[in-house]
Amino acid sequence: MLFSKDRVGGLLLLAFCIAYGLLSREIRLLPFQMDAAFHARTMPEVLTVLGVGLSLIVMIFPGSAERPKLAGFQWGRCLLFLGLMSLYGLTIRPLGFILSTSLFLMIGFALLGERRPHILLLVAVPLVVVFWVLMTQGLDVFIEPLPAFLKADG
Amino acid sequence: MLEGILIGLSTALTPGNLLFVMMGCLVGTFVGMLPGLGPMSAIALMIPIAASLEPAAGIILMAAVYYGAIFGGSTSSILINAPGVASTVATSFDGYPMAKQGRAGKALAIAAYSSFSGGVIAAVFLLVAAPFLANVSLAFQSTDYFALMVLGLVAVAAFAGKGDMAKALLMTVVGLMLSTVGTDQTQGVPRFTLGMIDLVDGISFLLLVMATFALSEALMAILKPKDDAARLKEKEASENLGSMAVSAAEAKDMAPVIGRSSILGFLIGVLPGAGATIASFLAYGTEQRLAGPKKGAEFGKGSVRGLSAPETANNAAATGSFVPLLTLGIPGSGTTAIMLGALIGYGIQPGPRLYIDQPAVFWSVIVSMWIGNIVLLILNLPLIPYIARVLAIPSRFLLPLILFFSLIGVYFVSFNTFDIQLMVVFAVAAVVLRFLDFPMAPMILGFILGGMMEENLRRALLINDDSWSFLWERPLTLSILLIAAVCLVLPFATTHIGRLKNRVFGDSPSAD
Repeated sequence: MLFSKDRVGGLLLLAFCIAYGLLSREIRLLPFQMDAAFHARTMPEVLTVLGVGLSLIVMIFPGSAERPKLAGFQWGRCLLFLGLMSLYGLTIRPLGFILSTSLFLMIGFALLGERRPHILLLVAVPLVVVFWVLMTQGLDVFIEPLPAFLKADG
Repeated sequence: MLEGILIGLSTALTPGNLLFVMMGCLVGTFVGMLPGLGPMSAIALMIPIAASLEPAAGIILMAAVYYGAIFGGSTSSILINAPGVASTVATSFDGYPMAKQGRAGKALAIAAYSSFSGGVIAAVFLLVAAPFLANVSLAFQSTDYFALMVLGLVAVAAFAGKGDMAKALLMTVVGLMLSTVGTDQTQGVPRFTLGMIDLVDGISFLLLVMATFALSEALMAILKPKDDAARLKEKEASENLGSMAVSAAEAKDMAPVIGRSSILGFLIGVLPGAGATIASFLAYGTEQRLAGPKKGAEFGKGSVRGLSAPETANNAAATGSFVPLLTLGIPGSGTTAIMLGALIGYGIQPGPRLYIDQPAVFWSVIVSMWIGNIVLLILNLPLIPYIARVLAIPSRFLLPLILFFSLIGVYFVSFNTFDIQLMVVFAVAAVVLRFLDFPMAPMILGFILGGMMEENLRRALLINDDSWSFLWERPLTLSILLIAAVCLVLPFATTHIGRLKNRVFGDSPSAD
């Protein structure tokens, strides 16, 4: 009951609301703006009060006593995917769309259990190439397909 | 009105737009069928494509995806008892038992005919109600809009369910907080940018929607993968559908149910926050009571009426939820909130002026609903045996693809790799909050309405010489705020009265 889902969530959001409130004090206002009935800090200040109040209500009067269950979930795999997505963001420009996306998909398929290299290649690479052609030719959305060092002007 | 319908028909019936309706219905059905992915994710995934189209075509595409996803959600409810969205939970009550009895094809056909009828009837109501309400709302001022937005936000939380209202309100406030990130519109002051130039323009709504819905749903599926038995069940269900024919007796049984559920669904859908889920459960409950003891007892065991009622009502409610969006610019649900964000992205402000300034968008959305429903019936229904095979695609291929489409959808709009990193951060937060049973839809609604709410409040204060008195001096504003207050207080009051009753009667048996 003490660490119910509602209370843990309420506590996390309370921390978020307090951080938001503290940051709202850093919004710089000019002297004449300070005198206005409504300025850039008004809404954040009202929201901080509402957020802190509601977080406390959720924590004090939780709707359910259900505890968060951590067992039975693939946390490690989920973390690997988060890392993979972040890495994709870092590599999409230097490696180009086709290479970075093919690698992203192949690693993703492999992380979820597909181990046959030819299947990884045959599913990921053609799909990425077709998608690139559709986007560039069909919707006029151009994205650099090749790594930076292979570009004509590079 | 006739002129409007003609404008709508001429816009929606161009070959290009017809193609978008068909594509939208097909993609929507495909995505909606995947357990866990609902209309919100389906629409979010289509926004990058819609953004490159003309406004009318983009909205037609998204609306088609919407009906398609609801239809797809019903299919997975019936075939594998795995509703993609809450609004199709009631569909599984009788749809899944029918599938287990070897009548999956019939159940799918009944669901399709009911959805079609509900959607078409509700579109007629929309045709009448929307222009009328748009004319009435022309008299609305900034103060009334501010009050309406408060009502919209509170209503969504009020319908969140017993014990969840405070959580939904809290998530709404979090959404409002996120909407304040970036440069302040009036005073030009940067807020919560943490010194990062990438945050000066604020957080993109598409980024937030993709991260909190599509990405987090895929990550939740990665966190708790299905066992082999469940996958086998899905594969078998997608292969053995049986006959799709509906007998005359069954059609006669369905007809009154469809009529009643269409009206009920539309009215519930118009209310901000109520949405398709409540409509489907209410219709199911109403029909069970009206069916009498003999037919009522069949509910939950494969009743035609039990399947038809929620299916009609959820489609009618989906159509009804367009009324506040198109006429007031206030989204009545999470899904219409995403569509509102997309409209704003086009530089179109939904509201009473939409009817006058952008008649092509306004009418083509309404007309596309009919076309969309016809497409679902004549194209998607016969294709169901093939589309259902999506259920057999191994999740080891499907999940990385969903992640890829979500990430690239956002990247293709901004071409900023910072957005991908920000999506990862929001996806982590969304997974943690979903894991703790905190709802995401109120947050999106808060985020979308936050900017407009602040702007209207500021404008109202400017008009009223910095006086807050408009909140109680203008009767319309006061009335709307009072309704919001009732929405806020009523669930708390009924819960506490219920608890008090339980305590009094529970502790003293003699009181019985």
